[in-house]
Amino acid sequence: MSMPIETLERAVDLRELSYAEAIREALAQAMEADPTVFLFGEDVGVYGGAFGVSGDLVHRFGKERVIDTPISELGMAGAAVGAAITGMRPVLEIQFSDFVTLAMEQIVNQAAKIRFMFGGKAKVPMVIRLPGGSGTGAAAQHSQSLEAWFAHVPGLKVIQPSTPHDAKGMLLAAIDDNNPVLIFEHKLLYKTKGPVPADAYRVPIGKAAIRREGRDITLIGSSMMAIRAEAAAKKLAEEGISAEVIDLRSIRPIDRETIIASVCKTHRVLIVYEGVKTMGIGAEISAMIAESEAFDFLDAPIARLGGAEVPLPYNPVLEKAAVPQEPDIIAAAMRLVRQGLV
Amino acid sequence: MPIEVILPKVDMDMETGTIEAWKVSEGETVTEGQLIFEIGTSKAVMEVEAPASGIIRRISAKQGETIAVGTPVAWIYGVNEAVEFKTPGTGQSSFAGHAAANDAAAPPVERAVVSPSANTVRATPLARRLAREAGLSLADIKGTGPRGRIGEMDIRALLAERASSSQPSPGLGPAPGTGPVRPPPGSGGELVPFSTVRRIVAQRLTDSATRVPHFYLEAAMDMSASLAFLKHVTPDMAARTGAKPSLTAFIAHVVGRVLADHPLLNASVEGEATRFHAGRHIGIAMDRDGDLVVPVLRHAGAGRLAETIAAFSRLREAVENRSLKPSEMEGGTFTLSNLGMFGVDRFTAIINPPQSGILAIGRTIETPVGVDGQIVLRPMANFCLSADHRIVDGVVAARFMADLRRMLETPELLL
Repeated sequence: MSMPIETLERAVDLRELSYAEAIREALAQAMEADPTVFLFGEDVGVYGGAFGVSGDLVHRFGKERVIDTPISELGMAGAAVGAAITGMRPVLEIQFSDFVTLAMEQIVNQAAKIRFMFGGKAKVPMVIRLPGGSGTGAAAQHSQSLEAWFAHVPGLKVIQPSTPHDAKGMLLAAIDDNNPVLIFEHKLLYKTKGPVPADAYRVPIGKAAIRREGRDITLIGSSMMAIRAEAAAKKLAEEGISAEVIDLRSIRPIDRETIIASVCKTHRVLIVYEGVKTMGIGAEISAMIAESEAFDFLDAPIARLGGAEVPLPYNPVLEKAAVPQEPDIIAAAMRLVRQGLV
Repeated sequence: MPIEVILPKVDMDMETGTIEAWKVSEGETVTEGQLIFEIGTSKAVMEVEAPASGIIRRISAKQGETIAVGTPVAWIYGVNEAVEFKTPGTGQSSFAGHAAANDAAAPPVERAVVSPSANTVRATPLARRLAREAGLSLADIKGTGPRGRIGEMDIRALLAERASSSQPSPGLGPAPGTGPVRPPPGSGGELVPFSTVRRIVAQRLTDSATRVPHFYLEAAMDMSASLAFLKHVTPDMAARTGAKPSLTAFIAHVVGRVLADHPLLNASVEGEATRFHAGRHIGIAMDRDGDLVVPVLRHAGAGRLAETIAAFSRLREAVENRSLKPSEMEGGTFTLSNLGMFGVDRFTAIINPPQSGILAIGRTIETPVGVDGQIVLRPMANFCLSADHRIVDGVVAARFMADLRRMLETPELLL
């Protein structure tokens, strides 16, 4: 189950790419296929991007289509909205997702609403790429997971691929989409490798992946937390606990159907997310389950593991302690399954 | 007037007890003497009978809950008698002026908890749904989760139990869409909590096996003389005692006699001292529906054989019809365990602390032995003594075995 069907079909031309390379390939294929697609952001050109994602794209597509911008997230986001409603398909990179707070007006008040306020006469096909998450020792202003902020806004789509395969396929789907899509890319994932087909395939937005099937508990996560949940599930299996792992991939729209079906099957659920626990994605999923037909199948409280209620510390030990790690997931799952306790 | 049912004191030093199992439920009609619940003390499980006939109401003690002796656990009402529930505080806070009078007049149960209803029971949504579908009342189900929470496993266990009993009832199969009964995650099969008896047995035997230095002496004894003797006296014994003499009873009588000359095997370690017991009281390991029960034969061998046989027979009956009192299981100074009737040839036993010895008896079987240069068949039985090496030396134990052999092979010495 860990390999989606679309991958299996392309098993013949599988190669191993890093997450960053997979994104770069998606950008290149989109730009090759569609002249309205262009890339811009701070240092995405000659420098190749703060995390090396855009790499040599400026040499392949020129400075007209891979544009270095001044340091103004609000200006960049406004330019993206303007370009999108006038027929382009911009892909904007925010150097660290934390800086997106400067661009909230354009994203939340403009990009998300224009299509609705103009009765569908305008569309906003823009993509914002946001390197996020902790674990790099980048401290409180460069390590956050702000995806829940945007998942709260109707009109936006928010995705969090966890594998190179999904990063490429979902980015291509995002560029195709006529609505603004925010893609949160975890900084720790950029160097991870995985099979990536060479063609320009799409992974649909809004559909979760079951990374591992299980009977006793459902672990729900996205991005880095899906990776950790899957690793935890392997260890739990050694303890005799069969954990099902759902990689959300997309948090708005969220794959309610897959979540509810899994909880109906396993009767227990642990939601793992890196963003601050309070008012986070876990709260939404928890309420969704409690309000659904899965309620009558719960045999333990709905449990959440989220980020600590602090600005992320610079100290690497504290930074780790502030975010769910694999042993935390294992411990919480065992407690929930064996003792019925959160 | 309703009759109160209290948690009785069934043992001298008993202060609290646990209701192991209710045998009746709320609203059920009972007759005086009917078994209504089982009570577990620190030593044993006892049955409690209804003190009167009527309808069981206001069951206030849950299974598994430890409560003080004398606490009312239910009431027996007359058929047309109305039930008055008084919840805590209503009598005293709303009618402050009558508080003192209420205190004096009200039976203690009026301050007790109202029997649990579905609303006060802790249960997971899944357990509630399964119970609803199976027509079960959550109030009757014991939860094994945190703070007594009823979970899926509790309902499944109950349904499985019902399904395997003789009266299958409709709607008790696995709920649609939830699959068959499955073992708890993290283990391979069904998990059954210890009963009170099992808990005590497990703790005491672990204690003995890990802390008491055991050693074992084994001897095959020729039982021909004893069997012949027993056969010879049986008609007379049966006529006098009304009980058929059993080999175990006979051996207990003999061991009681032999112990008189071997006080270290009728003793206990107390700190750094040896307690020599005045009387020789022999515990006899017996089986009751899979539970180990050890009634004690008092002053075994001190009186006449007929007395031992009669006493043994009484204990055996009490075990079988579950009327054995905890006091009848106390004060043993030595133990006998006979597994010969199951065809066991020989075995070693764990000492029942704080005793210093236990004798494990195998089956009596015709065995070729050498007698005066000839191979002959003799009914032989294997005896294995486990002794506490802290106070019993090898030679002491060997002398006991030698005397036991002498007595068993020459039963006339009993006279």
